Amino acid sequence: MGNEEKKRRELERRVLEKVEQAIASVHNAKDVDQVIVALYSVAVCLFPLHLHSLSGSVDEKYRQELWALEAPSGDDKTEWCNVFYRGAAFRAFARVLLYDVASDWLACFAASARKHVYDVFFLNGCAAEIVQVVVPCLQLSGSGGHDSSAVCLNAERLLVLCLLENDLILQIAREFAGGAQFQDLSHEQLKQAISKVSQLVTSIPDKARLGAPTSLSSHLFFERLTTQLLQGAEEWDMMLVDETAAAEDTHMDGSIRFVGEAFARICRRGSADVLLSEMIPRILGQVRSVLSSNSVLAISEIFDSKPGFRFWLKIMEAVNDSHSVERIAEELLHQLAVQNINDVEGYWILWILFGRIFKRQTPIRFTFVEKFLLWKIFPTCCLRWIIYFAVLECTPNSASLRSYNAHGLSNTVHRLVVAWSRKEFVQSSPIEQQAYVTAALGLCLEKMGKEDLDATKDGLHSILQGISCRLESPVYLIRKMASAIAFVFSKIIDPQNPLYLDDTSREETIDWEFGLATRRKGALTTPVHDGDERTVERENSSSTLSGKQIQKGEENGVGNAAKARRKKESAFTLIDPDEVIDPATINESTFYEDESDHASEDSETSSDSLLQPYDLTDDDADLKRKFSQLVDVVGALRKSDDAEGVEKALDVAEKLIRASPDELKYMAGDLAKTLVQVRCSDVTVEGEEESAEEKRQKAVVALIVTCPLESLDSLNKLLYSPNVDISQRVMILDIMIDAAQELASARILKSEHRPKALISSTSDQPWFMPRNTGPPGAGPWKEISSTGTPLNWSYSYERELPSKAGQIKRGKTRRWSLRTAIQDNQMEWSQNSFPQYAAAFMLPAMQGYDKKRHGVDLLGRDFIVLGKLIYMLGVCIKCAAMHPEASVLASPLLDMLRSRY
Amino acid sequence: MSKRPPPDPVAVLRGHRASVTDASFHPTKNILFTGSTDGELRIWDTVQHRTISSSWVHSAAHGIISVVAGGENRVISQGRDGTIKYWDIGEAGLSRSPLITIKTNSYHFCKLSLLNNPHAEVEPTEVVKNHQESELSGGNMSSTELESDKKVEGSIYVAAAGEDLSVVELWDVNTGEKLIKLPNHSINSTKARGMCMAVKAFLPPESHGYVNVMSGYEDGSMVWWDIRNPASPMTCVKFHSEPVLSLSFDNLCGGGVSGSADEKIVMFTLDPSTGSCLVKKEIILERPGIGGTSIRPDGKIFATAGWDHRVRIYDYRKGNALAILKYHHATCNAVSFSDNSKLMASSSEDTTVALWEIYPPRN
Repeated sequence: MGNEEKKRRELERRVLEKVEQAIASVHNAKDVDQVIVALYSVAVCLFPLHLHSLSGSVDEKYRQELWALEAPSGDDKTEWCNVFYRGAAFRAFARVLLYDVASDWLACFAASARKHVYDVFFLNGCAAEIVQVVVPCLQLSGSGGHDSSAVCLNAERLLVLCLLENDLILQIAREFAGGAQFQDLSHEQLKQAISKVSQLVTSIPDKARLGAPTSLSSHLFFERLTTQLLQGAEEWDMMLVDETAAAEDTHMDGSIRFVGEAFARICRRGSADVLLSEMIPRILGQVRSVLSSNSVLAISEIFDSKPGFRFWLKIMEAVNDSHSVERIAEELLHQLAVQNINDVEGYWILWILFGRIFKRQTPIRFTFVEKFLLWKIFPTCCLRWIIYFAVLECTPNSASLRSYNAHGLSNTVHRLVVAWSRKEFVQSSPIEQQAYVTAALGLCLEKMGKEDLDATKDGLHSILQGISCRLESPVYLIRKMASAIAFVFSKIIDPQNPLYLDDTSREETIDWEFGLATRRKGALTTPVHDGDERTVERENSSSTLSGKQIQKGEENGVGNAAKARRKKESAFTLIDPDEVIDPATINESTFYEDESDHASEDSETSSDSLLQPYDLTDDDADLKRKFSQLVDVVGALRKSDDAEGVEKALDVAEKLIRASPDELKYMAGDLAKTLVQVRCSDVTVEGEEESAEEKRQKAVVALIVTCPLESLDSLNKLLYSPNVDISQRVMILDIMIDAAQELASARILKSEHRPKALISSTSDQPWFMPRNTGPPGAGPWKEISSTGTPLNWSYSYERELPSKAGQIKRGKTRRWSLRTAIQDNQMEWSQNSFPQYAAAFMLPAMQGYDKKRHGVDLLGRDFIVLGKLIYMLGVCIKCAAMHPEASVLASPLLDMLRSRY
Repeated sequence: MSKRPPPDPVAVLRGHRASVTDASFHPTKNILFTGSTDGELRIWDTVQHRTISSSWVHSAAHGIISVVAGGENRVISQGRDGTIKYWDIGEAGLSRSPLITIKTNSYHFCKLSLLNNPHAEVEPTEVVKNHQESELSGGNMSSTELESDKKVEGSIYVAAAGEDLSVVELWDVNTGEKLIKLPNHSINSTKARGMCMAVKAFLPPESHGYVNVMSGYEDGSMVWWDIRNPASPMTCVKFHSEPVLSLSFDNLCGGGVSGSADEKIVMFTLDPSTGSCLVKKEIILERPGIGGTSIRPDGKIFATAGWDHRVRIYDYRKGNALAILKYHHATCNAVSFSDNSKLMASSSEDTTVALWEIYPPRN
């Protein structure tokens, strides 16, 4: 142990000695070759150099000297090298190199000499040290006897060479990861060293002089820097053998700390956009590859476990500067917005980068849920990502939406709603801000259920307040915001019955950008990486063409040659064959032409009576909707907002029902319910309520008459349903009364008559005798003598017919005679078809009339209905009188009446 | 000054049992051909207003999309069953079976377009044919009898949407051969435009006898092809926001009219020498949807068949409205003018065809 230490001391001494010698000889040098030899004497001890590469650039007389220098063997060289860079030797020597040699001698160095005995010291050594000595040279002031411009020039050249061309930054990152020179530093010291180095590195563009190489300008430099840093971080991640260290969250390796520190400083220096434009393609690529891989692992697990991915989770933590993190997040969102990113990708990028710190650091939480929702303005797609990430804390996949953070959601909605509903906010904040906060609120509300809303502190109140103060606004856009929120809000309350405050827009999906998007997008396209920059430039250069045209032009790359040829042909009009011409611009160009055309023709056509226009008035009376199907009628009646449609439907309903189409049976119940629930007073113009009411009643009566069982079933249900009011109950009973009466006096207007051959040769009876067909039990035909006039051209016959069950007989015979007589007879003929339905009329209505239910209280408040009910029952019994059904129904009716009085 | 009320139809031809999709006048005789969605092709005498013959030429399930008089005694019918049939009209109406049945295998709504002046341009179209022969992989199928036939009849070409619905195909009706596809390469540049909804083949005088085709697509764009360059179109324009449903050009090919599902009719000019197609006038309609347009052969007026049951007449030169003809009580499908400009026929979904005499030429 002691021996080792001693050996090291010894080596240190020898190195210092060597360096001292070299420095002395540089100071005393009279000739450039002497300097080269001196430098070489040090270099040869440290690096594997070949003399041949150098000998050409050194004068003959010094060559011997070069040959004479002895060098340590390979292993010793690395040891020498370590000692040289870690001790004071390098600093001292570098000072000489950077100041004295650079200002006095370097210009005289041959290129190969410069490379092998000068640059070599800065390329192969400890990167962190090198940065620390070279960067201060950039700011050399004139004093000290050095040629400051030469020194600076050289420093710039070295920085470009080292940092940019030889990836020294990457090497620094590696060194911090576990380089020998930082091993014995304490945690605090390491932190300081990292901070110092990253500060120096990121200050380079600022320190560079005006005439410095362009690669040291902040944009290019930071771009290159970011690439190397990211590469370093990835490499660190790949080499991270110690799994536990990775899993242990607080552990911060030097390397990742350095990357984070450098990122923070880049952001502080205002180059977050450059940083992000390097970062986004990498992370996006990885996210997309993971998303498309269909791996069984969740994406979070992949990023947690896969080498090369894990560093993303830590990188923002390493930045360790909430302002920079905020800048990064903001810039990230803006840049992602202009790329084609879906919600899932957007969410995951946010989660990967900010997921950990969002959980742990309050300022970051604040940034996302407060600043980004209320103060900043992002495009709507970003807003959605923010909401998924910071509010709902779940992926945008619908499957996982169930597990969203309900508490966070209602808290956020509370905050948003409070801000949104403040009158001052409506009055004084810019419209973009309002649109953004509205969108944030709306998107949050869209995700809410009813119970979430209930959990939100005075949510309902504030929303209504916000809507009402917006609706008063003279600005259309603000009113539109109110109606959008009202729509979303109403969908929470009752998803079946959305509220449209605005008649013009009926779309189910709301444009949360409120038409402001285009403007914002235009502003956004500027800070993007080179690919997009090109398009932006092109757009600027050809401002008359729309973006669409450019896109089109790019798409149709085929046949360019042909295009060019034709372009030449049509040089005058410059028509691009693949171009989509905007008619508006063309209209403009041909406008004048057109006008003159008109003028010249007017005189011509005024004499030409050929083309005198006819009357051009046009009304759309014939285009109005006509209902010919009951389904359409039901549909129209349900649309209570389309008054005209309801009115029309009511007009035709009775006629259609009376026609008794086949499908009536199946929709009778539905139709009855719909008809009863139509609000006639709402749909008609004032003064015409009566007629609409009448039409409705007639339609329902017709419905009961044509299709009694089905429609009565639903009407009786409605009668005691809590959803109808007294007037509707009374109306139902009225309708039933009318229907019962109509059924009781039903007339059979048409007897069954089929066209039959009047003269039948096959039968044995004379042709004028009526046929023997008829119901079983009919008697034989007998000729009856005509009554009245003796001049009788016709024969009359009669026969006995058995009576049908349940029919009242008005006469005992049917007469067969001339047609008019038949009709007369049959007009007389009526059949009471009510009794068979009497039970369906009466029993359900009698059942449970005395139960007090929600909104139904016949014995108390709604006594009028009870009166009507009893009246209806009475009419029913009357209509069924003289039929067996009456006696059956009488006893329950009497029971009912008795039970209460 | 009170204006004259718009005229009523001079005759209404009833007899179809389903929506009448298309009507076409015979070039010289007083005959009108109409086709309906149940596949019935009727031939009418336009003087006596009677049916001369009626036959089911396409299956009832598919129906007829369009009917075009194809010469002195020929008629072409296009069905939605993927066929185009070429018929001979004899003394007693239609022949029993078609002269040629072309199986296009395309099932769409695009009415075919007969090349507008086949008689005068036999020679150039021959050139077209020779030009295209290299394209035909099946070898030269035209036998000598077809050659002789062609001398009598002239070549009759029709353009229609092809099997790939965004491609326009040009067929020789005499031989039943497919001549060319537009675009003809496998990377279909018009795919993004959607189905081809309307097509018009024409032969501008400047094109030296090479057929030009204008096709209108579902996205409202129109593309102008010169078959010398079938790979890429000459001009693309987009006047409409909805599918282009009909296209018609005047006889000089100096301009035309397009109707679409949106609420405008666009009158445009064509310049074949530069390949430019520019809007001359946009006519905004109250109610959207123009199913058919037709420019009268004398170029004075044009008519549109509207979804709003109305036939509208406009001055073709100035583009101002002249009349709104209300007779049909269902969507109008097509309008057509007779070659002597005296009669106009409108066919409608209400199964009738109305004949109108509107602004008849003075002599």
